[in-house]
Amino acid sequence: MAHLLTPGPAALAHHMIRMRLALTRNSLRGDKATNLYIGATLGLALALGTIAVAVRWPAHLPLTLAGWLAGWIFGPIFIGGGNEALRPEYLSMLPLASRRIAAALLAGAFAGPAPLVNLIALLSLPVYGLRFGPAGVLIGLVAALTTLVTMVMISRVIVALIGLYVRSRATAAAVGIATGTAIALCSNGWAPVVALGGTGPTAWSEIFVRVLPSGWGVAAVEASWPAALLILLAAAGVIALLLVAWAGLLSRRVVSAARGGVPVRRGGPRPFPLTGGARVAAAKELRAWWRDLVRIQLLATAFSYAIVTPLLLVTIGVWALVPFTGLVAIVMATASAANLYGADGTALWLTLMTPGAERADVRGRQLAWLLIVGPAAVVLSLAGTLAGGQTWAWPWVLGLLPALLGGGAGVVVLLAVTSLVPGTDPHKRGGNPLSTGADETAETSLAWLVLLAVPATALPAAGAVLLHPWAGLATGVLTGLLCAWGFGRIAYRRLQERGIELLNLMKHGPAPRAKASKPTTADLPLRHRIGVTIGYTIAWLPLFPQGIVPMVMKILGIDNRLWFLALHLPPIWQWPTIIFMIALGLLMYGYATLIPMRLSSSSSATAR
Amino acid sequence: MPTHREPALRTTGLRKAFGEHLAADDIHLTVPAGSFYGLVGPNGAGKTTTLAMAVGLLRPDAGRAEIFGVDVWRDTVRAKELIGVLPDGNAMPERLTGREVLTYLGLLRGLPPVVVTERADELLRILELDSAERTLVIEYSTGMRKKIGLAVALLHAPRLLVLDEPFEAVDPVSAATIRAILRRFAAGGGSVIISSHVMTLVEQICDHVGVISGGRVVAAGPLAEVRGTATLEDAFVDLVGARTGGTEGLAWLTS
Repeated sequence: MAHLLTPGPAALAHHMIRMRLALTRNSLRGDKATNLYIGATLGLALALGTIAVAVRWPAHLPLTLAGWLAGWIFGPIFIGGGNEALRPEYLSMLPLASRRIAAALLAGAFAGPAPLVNLIALLSLPVYGLRFGPAGVLIGLVAALTTLVTMVMISRVIVALIGLYVRSRATAAAVGIATGTAIALCSNGWAPVVALGGTGPTAWSEIFVRVLPSGWGVAAVEASWPAALLILLAAAGVIALLLVAWAGLLSRRVVSAARGGVPVRRGGPRPFPLTGGARVAAAKELRAWWRDLVRIQLLATAFSYAIVTPLLLVTIGVWALVPFTGLVAIVMATASAANLYGADGTALWLTLMTPGAERADVRGRQLAWLLIVGPAAVVLSLAGTLAGGQTWAWPWVLGLLPALLGGGAGVVVLLAVTSLVPGTDPHKRGGNPLSTGADETAETSLAWLVLLAVPATALPAAGAVLLHPWAGLATGVLTGLLCAWGFGRIAYRRLQERGIELLNLMKHGPAPRAKASKPTTADLPLRHRIGVTIGYTIAWLPLFPQGIVPMVMKILGIDNRLWFLALHLPPIWQWPTIIFMIALGLLMYGYATLIPMRLSSSSSATAR
Repeated sequence: MPTHREPALRTTGLRKAFGEHLAADDIHLTVPAGSFYGLVGPNGAGKTTTLAMAVGLLRPDAGRAEIFGVDVWRDTVRAKELIGVLPDGNAMPERLTGREVLTYLGLLRGLPPVVVTERADELLRILELDSAERTLVIEYSTGMRKKIGLAVALLHAPRLLVLDEPFEAVDPVSAATIRAILRRFAAGGGSVIISSHVMTLVEQICDHVGVISGGRVVAAGPLAEVRGTATLEDAFVDLVGARTGGTEGLAWLTS
């Protein structure tokens, strides 16, 4: 027995963990290392927070754990297919049954920071079990392990399902709608909970979070011995079923030839329009939107979030957001298209090798974006304002609509060339159509930058509406045109001057650290790095739900305090609190955005 | 102004470092107008880096590149009008079909629509890509990607073709077609630069060769001068100071 061709399950899992650790070690350079440290730090803080919930507010433990489950389910969809450091394709030629490969890959999947952080969070179960004596702790420990495995498995199965079955525009849109709805529920899900009746232990919402796999652990800890054993056995059974399902999905993925998220087509393509300049570039870009499942999915996410959010507030009788559905959709759609050049990869070389094509390409992309987002946003705005019967909203909607459309069309190309995040070239991507291979943290911060920059372009129009209701329309049209024209001009000039550098950033990745000419967030001192990440992550909390929403409710005289801190305070403190919260949110965003920019401009000044 | 006496490509002291690694070090090359030039070298020698700097797709740390006397980095637009490029491994507008790619790029270059339609038709037919009329480029095989890349390089009838590994992954029939196209192009006064590591191929079609090794030019000139009395392959092995391996070790493979 000199050559053991098929290693045993334990040995295989061991190899896989070592391979995963080696891959992680090799990628721990530059930005990725920083992102890992920051992510782990934040995750750890959340994990400790979860344990604190178990100690202080045990009634909310099932809800908190449901939050972790939601992260495992929607995280990978939102950031593009999840981290696939170990691709199943690598192992497709091993002479092993798919179930054994799946088990080994699963072992590899646990050798990362996210499961470790989640395990710490799940230690809240034995901590909660303390209240029920030693048996509670023991059951809690076992439940922590089964819950962790279940969560990771659910995440893997969903990624695999998407990879295999998102093959048509309809499925891509369905995944997008589910994601958008989930994000909307995360930010405003409290509204229907309030509407549907209270928060007592028998409320449906409490039962719901216990029925979810994330809530089984709490149920087991609270149950009697036999019942707890049954629950844990059921959890083990679910894990086994998930493993079988995952193995089946993996073996199908490896042999499915489809790549790059191309939808099925019937019939020949429509003839290409015989024009020139920006219009021909727009024709190319429109085809890319229609033939790329990732773009369709992200667009569906943006629009479903924009539609669901106001509807959630309608459940508690607040119609104030309904007229702004179209405007929210514009901002979200810009964010989902933020990495426009990065997503196309090195195809940029053709634009650079064609004399004078940079301008046509930028203008064409702007035109295509407007054609995709504009009509739907206009319809949603008009329908929303009419349906809600909110006549006061007309000047706001009509003023902000052109301002945001123009602003979005400008910002989307400007940031695409100034803050490009390199990914994998489309034709070299793996079997997961939703993954672009780009650094997810960098892509997410780019999306956040868009979420700030686009509304900022509409500030002049908003100010004008406050002065005179109809001055907003003229201002909005003017600033919209200016933004689309001006930012587009900056973008194509930049492409003409620095296009080669962008191309090589995508081809070879960021310049080596030794002589980095373009510093990134990773070059910031650690305390700034952590500050920037925290800023991006939680600034929305004071700004939107604790600042702008209570402000709108106070202006409209809606008497519903809910979880808005300001509205629980004595009247004299309400306005100062709202203003403080908005200022705090803006300051955090400003800090997170400006600190890296200042760094990059100061170092490029010294470099030249 | 460019004249026919100017070389098709002249590089002077091109240099590029990626971090610690010096990919191209003081590259001097002269490609005479009307020549069929083969750039050869071992894997990782710096061929692709050199060609990318020569056509304006990679900014050199030092040195110049001129195409028919036009400085690539000063008069970029004029230089781009003169060349057709097939780079190695770059993406295309992936979500267009082959015909759409050619139509799009032709129109973007400002060619008249009638000319674009005609040329796209002809290129697709001759390169046998017309059967894949409904296939997006992202679904193309490696060989098909090479062929559509070549069609893109030829579309605007450039005066100099710069092709990085044009025959890699291409089937023998298509390779013969491409060879015939390139020969006709050169016979009609066009200049061609190809990079390759298939010596017999370079020997068959090129009249000039440059040998790059370790980021430096170790030999350049007319084919007969570079190879002397030996074959190009022997001359190459000699020049790059390599030793062919594969005769020792690996005992378990044959036991």
